Amino acid sequence: MRQWYRIAFPRNYLDRRKRAGFLFVLPALLFFGSVFILPLAQSVMYSFYKIAPGGAREFVGLRLYEKVLTDSTFWAAVGNTLQLLLLSVPTTVVCALAVALGLNRIANLKWRNVWASMYFLPFATSLVAAALIWQWIYEPVYGFLNYALSFFGIPPQKWLQSLAQVRPSIAAVSVWVRIGFDTMIFLAALQSIPEEYYEAARIDGADALQRLRYIILPMLNPQIVMVCILELIFNFKVFDQVYATTQGGPAGASQTIIMLLYDTAFKFFRFGDASVMAVFVFVTLMAVTLLQWRIFRKPVEY
Amino acid sequence: MTLGQVHFRWLITLAVACGAIVVFFPFFWMAVTSLKTAPEIQRVPLEIAPDDWLNFANYVEVFKRQPFLRYLLNSSIVASVAAVSSVAVSSLAGFGFAKYRFPGRDVFFLAVVGIMMIPFQSVVVPLYVWMNDLGLLDTYMGIVAPDLVSVFGVFLMRQAIEVIPNDYIDAARIDGCSELRIFFSVILPFVSPAIATLVIIKFMWSWNEFFWPMVVTSSPQMKVVTMGLMSFTNMYFIEYNLLTAAAVISMLPILVVFVVLQRWVVQAVVMSGLKG
Repeated sequence: MRQWYRIAFPRNYLDRRKRAGFLFVLPALLFFGSVFILPLAQSVMYSFYKIAPGGAREFVGLRLYEKVLTDSTFWAAVGNTLQLLLLSVPTTVVCALAVALGLNRIANLKWRNVWASMYFLPFATSLVAAALIWQWIYEPVYGFLNYALSFFGIPPQKWLQSLAQVRPSIAAVSVWVRIGFDTMIFLAALQSIPEEYYEAARIDGADALQRLRYIILPMLNPQIVMVCILELIFNFKVFDQVYATTQGGPAGASQTIIMLLYDTAFKFFRFGDASVMAVFVFVTLMAVTLLQWRIFRKPVEY
Repeated sequence: MTLGQVHFRWLITLAVACGAIVVFFPFFWMAVTSLKTAPEIQRVPLEIAPDDWLNFANYVEVFKRQPFLRYLLNSSIVASVAAVSSVAVSSLAGFGFAKYRFPGRDVFFLAVVGIMMIPFQSVVVPLYVWMNDLGLLDTYMGIVAPDLVSVFGVFLMRQAIEVIPNDYIDAARIDGCSELRIFFSVILPFVSPAIATLVIIKFMWSWNEFFWPMVVTSSPQMKVVTMGLMSFTNMYFIEYNLLTAAAVISMLPILVVFVVLQRWVVQAVVMSGLKG
């Protein structure tokens, strides 16, 4: 308290310097406080109230939680989201790792940069544009994908319009968008592994697979964990790709949590229900992130 | 190097190249489709090359069908404001966090890190209510409001400012510079690469934003470019030749900047990503 008093009413040069430092960070703190912390608290509050379209509120305790958490539509959306997640997260991470390993082995720097930028390019596009381009590629009659598959004797598939294929198809879009980002991180980490490690492995007679298993993967462990978490968070919040293409269809097969939240809040204006979902999303992601810290904090030393 | 190793190296290069081509293909396909006419894209079997490689009619049509210029303008305004304000606030905060000791500094910084874990979708309903109360729905201010600063920027700037030797700052102090003057005359010139990177990345992210603009805007003339793309889709029938042309227009500025300045962008992403 006294420290704060001295910042508010500085008595000497050092106090003034501290005050300057505090004032420098203040705008950012105010912004984050008002755009994230305060609304988050409000979200929690809203989830206990029934809000009529006019704005009249009525405290209903946990009734909205009961309503949303026993709703089969909600759990179907959670299930779809988890399926999308399970399809795209491992694929993205494994592909990005493979690409980074490959890029790292290409000795010609010029060509390595050319190939790398091709992988990075989707990172710069909007999810909406990405999804719409893929929708065109997936088009059942005139789309490129079915055309390409026809050379392998595979009959035309319905992709986004099929109950079974819609989720893998959307997951593929997510993989395409995210692979560049993950590759960037892995590639940077690979390049920071000291040459001596490989040297030592060579002297010990390790082959490529052993190098991967005993040097590269352990050294990349922090990045792999981090990328997994980032992908998990990204894919848990999947919205743009779905909204732009299937709008949750066919028959709700690609309805995700955020899609449902959006519809509940801004189509049906049931802010209370939407807030319950918002709290659910926050708590789930928080739990995942805390789990990350537990794994992450484990010191990795080799 | 044995013959087997040489082959292995070529195999890797080949695999990487094939993957890169697959990843790049949608861009190529988008560009090619945008040069085709409506009957051309409905040919069975499909032809890859357009009849006329210089057929830009779709691009003209995009601007005729929708106020696409307006969408581009809206996105430019929103993204520019977001980029500039983000740089201003983040570099100040980065300076404060990196070079000053004041009570609660570490707690505040940890809190800022914690913000990253709050998904935007969890706060969107109260934010919408705020915007409604403040009369900012369907305005530029409303679209840009949650985008003005990002945690990423604070990280990036803190990281960049941390490596500036304290001696420079102390020297400026001895010369009688005020703290704000130090920020402008000593710190900013040092971190101009980081600032440029932040401008690019923030511009790119705001330009590509979709969820929030869709929530706050309602009138057609306030749509941003991602929403403009959506207006070329329709439940039953999508004119993909127009849609892809619109997509090319929406992406081109970003892609060009991204390719030219890729090294910086990658560096920034990796730096903040590894630390975040």
